[in-house]
Amino acid sequence: MLLKKERLNDILTDMAKQARVYVPVSPDANDGGGVGKSGKAKMTRFELYSPGTAPNFDLVNTTMPPKDMLFPQTQKMYRYGFDTEGNAYIDIIHDSDEVVIFGMRSCDARSIECMDDVFLSMGYDDEFYKQRREKLATVAIGCASVAETCFCDSMGLDPNAAPGADVQLSPGVDGQSYVVVAQSEKGQALVASWQPYLEDSTAETTQVSCALKVNGDGLKDKLEQMFDHPIWEQLSKKCLTCGTCTYVCPTCHCFDISQENKMKDGERFRCWDSCMFSAYSEMAGNHNPRPTKMPRVRQRFMHKLCFFEDRYGKTLCVGCGRCVEKCPVALDITMLIDDIQAADLSKAEEVA
Amino acid sequence: MTAIQESIQKRAAELLESGEVTQVIAWTNGRFTNQTSPLFIQNAADAGKIVFNEYCVNTLAKYVLNEKIAGKVGVCVRGCEARGINRMIADNQLKREEVYLLGIPCEGMKDRETGEALDKCLTCTHKNPVVYDELLGAEVTDTVSEEIDKVRFAQIEAIEGMSREERLEYFNNVFNSCIRCYACREVCPVCTCRECFVDQLRAGWQGKQNNLNENRFYNLIRVFHIGDRCVECGECARACPMGLPLMELNRKWIRDLDELFAAGEEGLSDELDNTLGRYKTDDIEEFM
Ligand code: SF4
Ligand code: SF4
Ligand code: SF4
Ligand code: SF4
Repeated sequence: MLLKKERLNDILTDMAKQARVYVPVSPDANDGGGVGKSGKAKMTRFELYSPGTAPNFDLVNTTMPPKDMLFPQTQKMYRYGFDTEGNAYIDIIHDSDEVVIFGMRSCDARSIECMDDVFLSMGYDDEFYKQRREKLATVAIGCASVAETCFCDSMGLDPNAAPGADVQLSPGVDGQSYVVVAQSEKGQALVASWQPYLEDSTAETTQVSCALKVNGDGLKDKLEQMFDHPIWEQLSKKCLTCGTCTYVCPTCHCFDISQENKMKDGERFRCWDSCMFSAYSEMAGNHNPRPTKMPRVRQRFMHKLCFFEDRYGKTLCVGCGRCVEKCPVALDITMLIDDIQAADLSKAEEVA
Repeated sequence: MTAIQESIQKRAAELLESGEVTQVIAWTNGRFTNQTSPLFIQNAADAGKIVFNEYCVNTLAKYVLNEKIAGKVGVCVRGCEARGINRMIADNQLKREEVYLLGIPCEGMKDRETGEALDKCLTCTHKNPVVYDELLGAEVTDTVSEEIDKVRFAQIEAIEGMSREERLEYFNNVFNSCIRCYACREVCPVCTCRECFVDQLRAGWQGKQNNLNENRFYNLIRVFHIGDRCVECGECARACPMGLPLMELNRKWIRDLDELFAAGEEGLSDELDNTLGRYKTDDIEEFM
């Protein structure tokens, strides 16, 4: 099936009648965004589509990943308090909207697989995540071009194909159309609803690969021996321990639970947290097992490249390059991987 | 530039060799063309890694706080770093003798995406370090301050020209886009509180939700807290991953303090001389 680009708006408008549809956009200056002097958008993200929204499907990937739709930066969980009779109540807050994320990249699709592992496997289902996940359909678009910071194909992904997405759109080499393939039942239903706008033909599709390559082989095994390696002290010096890399990362999924009370009522919510923040690991009684930046930086990269793989069989870095682009001090995970590969293991033993 | 790079390398090696400093903070190449990243070296043999070119966008001052514990630290200082260092000394975060300052006159840095002058450098009023132990290179001429002020305050004037409603909408959109990563705080040489109000969880000043209210609260309190001490290094705005116009908030303060109290620029000396955070018995305000 072939989808002509000029039909995209029809499809989005149709879908927006049934579901909340999120598309990549470059917000303008009146919307907290704007265009830098390079002519490139300062910040891009997924936003709710409504007729009039100008999606930008040419962004290689968005500054902010689409994880907010599934795992919101702030998610209200339940309200509680005392009613007028003085009886205690707890009302769970349900999300019931159907959501379509339209135009994600292979890295984003894989990141959802990682979050599924965290929230829906190993014998425990996170019900807040599950609710949203069941209502979510994803449409991936193959990358017609890559950014200098993209390295997903070194992390075992393919920028041209996102097997985890419900529908895969592959850009035609003519730049005018997409080849449409449904990859799941949800995907089939979506594609069926697009029928009026599809053509029964096919096209040659683009094939890209990342310019930036890293060697991810054997990283987990090597890192397992490097917990006490002196390399972390040196690597972490420039880190500011801000939350940028965590918050732009499509797979970072740590959260904190907190509440706000007003008179007799309150709301409990969870919100993104970052292992780079000191309060993240602070315990009752003020003990902090990760009091300085070295253990925090080590944790971030160990989790991405070692612990997660150990537990779920895949790395928690999908090679999207967002943190590479946005880290204010250029603490670049790809250079870190090079450094790990080059590290001398005998040094770890000296320290340990 | 290459001459300066060579001098930094040479002096860094000598200082480390002689034991005068235990560490030197400078820049080195990043992965991509025209990209650099902060560098920390402890051995003279690593001095060759030091790079100085027009893409050294990171202001290094804040790092000194973390590194000074291990002995005297050598750090490269341009105008922006030097003012940050003065600021931290004035704020009692650092002692002058804890740092060795390798002064570098700076013609301004470039944005690697455009090859054009970096925003923060367009408004720089002190291209030469205002404090140093030695100067590596000839002083450069500062742009006339009237010229710079046109750029420095242009956006403030544009915002002041908005109607109340427009202004509210403008800032709501800015604050709505904040992801509260706190990069603007972490990078700032003025944000040196041991425990930021944000992290005082039990007091609960700053709620954890990401919404307009909380984001506005964070951004406004940040600017109140740095208000009369900002050295205008522009790092907060450069670091912000969402590209938010943080200098506009800072400069509104700076300009008001200039107009109301002739506050002048911060970080030019290491004397504590804040306009607001200072107590003086001869203050003209009667209630003092
Ligand atoms: S690696 Fe970069 S983005 Fe991440 S916490 Fe450190 S300074 Fe911030
Ligand atoms: S660690 Fe960086 S490159 Fe890897 S998935 Fe996260 S943001 Fe992308
Ligand atoms: S750096 Fe930008 S996004 Fe991060 S907290 Fe500061 S204003 Fe918000
Ligand atoms: S508020 Fe921004 S410009 Fe002012 S000193 Fe801090 S980082 Fe520099």
